[in-house]
Amino acid sequence: MSRDHVRQNILAALRAGLAAAPLCVPAPPARPASLPVGPDAWTVLAEVLAPLDVRLRLATTPAEAAQHVADIARERGAQRYARWSEMPAGLDMDDALAGLTRVTNIGAGCCQALAQVDLGLTLAQAALMDSGSLVLIAGPGRERAVSLLPPTHVCLVPRRALLPDVSALPELLRAHADATGQFPGGQLPSCLNLVTGPSSTADIELVLVRGVHGPGALDIVGLDWA
Amino acid sequence: MVLSSSFTPRNFREQSEKASHDARLRAVLDHATRYFMAKRGAALDAFADCEVHFARARSARLTALSRLPELLEQLEQSATRAGTQVHWATDAAQAREIITGIAQGCGAQVVVKGKSMITEEIALNPALQANGTEVWETDLGEFIVQLAGEPPSHIIAPAIHKSRADVAALFREKLGLADLDDGASIPELTLLARQALREKFLAADLGVTGVNIAVAETGSVILVENEGNIRMSTTCPPVHVAVMSLEKVAASLEDAADILRVLPRSATGQKMSSYVSVLTGPRRVGEADGARESHLVILDNGRSAVLADPLLREALLCFRCGACLNSCPVYQTIGGHAYGSVYSGPIGALLSSLLLPPEDTRDLPFGCTLCGACKRTCPLGIDHPKLLLRLRERGLESGRADSPGFASAAHTFLSLHPLAYRLAVGAARAVDPNLDLLPRLPGLPSGLANFADTRQLPELKRPFSAQLRDNRKKQGRKKQGGA
Repeated sequence: MSRDHVRQNILAALRAGLAAAPLCVPAPPARPASLPVGPDAWTVLAEVLAPLDVRLRLATTPAEAAQHVADIARERGAQRYARWSEMPAGLDMDDALAGLTRVTNIGAGCCQALAQVDLGLTLAQAALMDSGSLVLIAGPGRERAVSLLPPTHVCLVPRRALLPDVSALPELLRAHADATGQFPGGQLPSCLNLVTGPSSTADIELVLVRGVHGPGALDIVGLDWA
Repeated sequence: MVLSSSFTPRNFREQSEKASHDARLRAVLDHATRYFMAKRGAALDAFADCEVHFARARSARLTALSRLPELLEQLEQSATRAGTQVHWATDAAQAREIITGIAQGCGAQVVVKGKSMITEEIALNPALQANGTEVWETDLGEFIVQLAGEPPSHIIAPAIHKSRADVAALFREKLGLADLDDGASIPELTLLARQALREKFLAADLGVTGVNIAVAETGSVILVENEGNIRMSTTCPPVHVAVMSLEKVAASLEDAADILRVLPRSATGQKMSSYVSVLTGPRRVGEADGARESHLVILDNGRSAVLADPLLREALLCFRCGACLNSCPVYQTIGGHAYGSVYSGPIGALLSSLLLPPEDTRDLPFGCTLCGACKRTCPLGIDHPKLLLRLRERGLESGRADSPGFASAAHTFLSLHPLAYRLAVGAARAVDPNLDLLPRLPGLPSGLANFADTRQLPELKRPFSAQLRDNRKKQGRKKQGGA
């Protein structure tokens, strides 16, 4: 049977099934209003992150943020790091991590290179207060594996990136759509990851272990000025 | 119980019987189901407007089913525009052929897999291995059961039936770790699995995953997990194949978000799973990682026929949170393997009965006490007991009197018809008040003998129904006296 035949048969069977007995969908209740992102947003986020073993460090100036990242690298014993190319203005991360080796050649064989790195540094496009999720959108200079392969992931979260919950995701994705795409609304980014706490498993005897395939440690630095 | 992959839904009765006598298995199941129920309960207690969110998730799933053909066409168009190659498969054989074809096309020697029920359903691994390809399950639980040569025993925690000492022994033998001690800690064992699989991720030519949600309007595939193995499987290998059962579509990103609000909370009690990936096509120009080539396989495998049944189609709402398994007294007693197929528990009894040949699944709908715990637990409002009853009726309509399911079917009939039940039990008790002789009576179907053999009846001098009548009479007199 040809490929198109298979497709047509499946669609025809589905159409026939629904035609014989239509399925009516009652209107759902309205989506509950999201909680506002208020002046206490960082406190709320820190409370959501604490049970996930994630520490939120707050920085009011770029110098303070640089110090936090340097502290994290030292505490985690990191020697080699990789980072997304774009960092907030006024924040020189390579200066902050001057004692470490930056792995930069992550073009071809990206994953092989990043598997040798101790610390990956990213900049969240958003963070969700309800769940403590970081939103990371991949692109040129924003490798997916930087937040995945190194044992420690450090993520910078600007204050303006704080959003209430996952209901904000559609708008966020559309805002990052590639407007040059050939169809209305543009092409969504190739990859968006929600990252909520470290990699975890409870597959052996239901005992929680942090750090299976992804990072065992996640540190967040809040950029209160940005 | 000796575990092997020879379980089949055909032997559901015998497998259940054996499992229910396995003290260790019951202890493990007791612990696991309580653990999941407690985590879920705490998460839902703290979830404001929980019922409203459940209703929205149900509505998103209902919308998907009500518009399934048009949404799948839209999904195909938008995924194709994003650069994903879309394939359609009527059955498991076609799906295997498509995926082994992709593997051969990219010269795959090593395949890494994210945990997915659908690739279990189509028995993908043996097909890939038959072509000489190395296939690795990369979810820790799935990795353990793969090494042991066993099927998964729980949708969310495939290896809950294994102790840490079992896992240590397995790793010692299968990973060539001669020095590994039985007393190895769980974090140590997890680290060993991480190291073994890290090599495979970096060497893999192809990553295969399931799909939690496919978004029709954008062509995106959404994958939900905790370990990071699915992110690895879609980030490191040059080719990614996502396999979806055709009902897993959502009309819009908004519907997908409504589902994501509920799924992790109901599955594991997490506000959000550790990793949710929204993948739209392969990597773009200038990007350094992610698959260069992405495929989406849309699989029917019997579901279009289920959609045609106005009652039973409700089973297609399921998004596999696994909560009904943990709530089910039957699952709590027999575990996942006894069901003999990929899907277990209340939803498993339903899906297997709907998707597998009827002669193989005749007994599955009877593995249910109709207590309704699953229905009350299901965030999508699936009425499992009602659907299972319908399947029992269907089995009776097409069944033969000498079938192995007859005894339980007869019991069902009796339990549905109280008068007939009273007469039947009353008749039996007239000669045998405590039903002691029932198992030993000659000429009884073995099913009925088993039924009687494993149940202890209270020593009633008068049948319960008669006692009830007496009590009612007494109460009636009291009321009259007080008036």
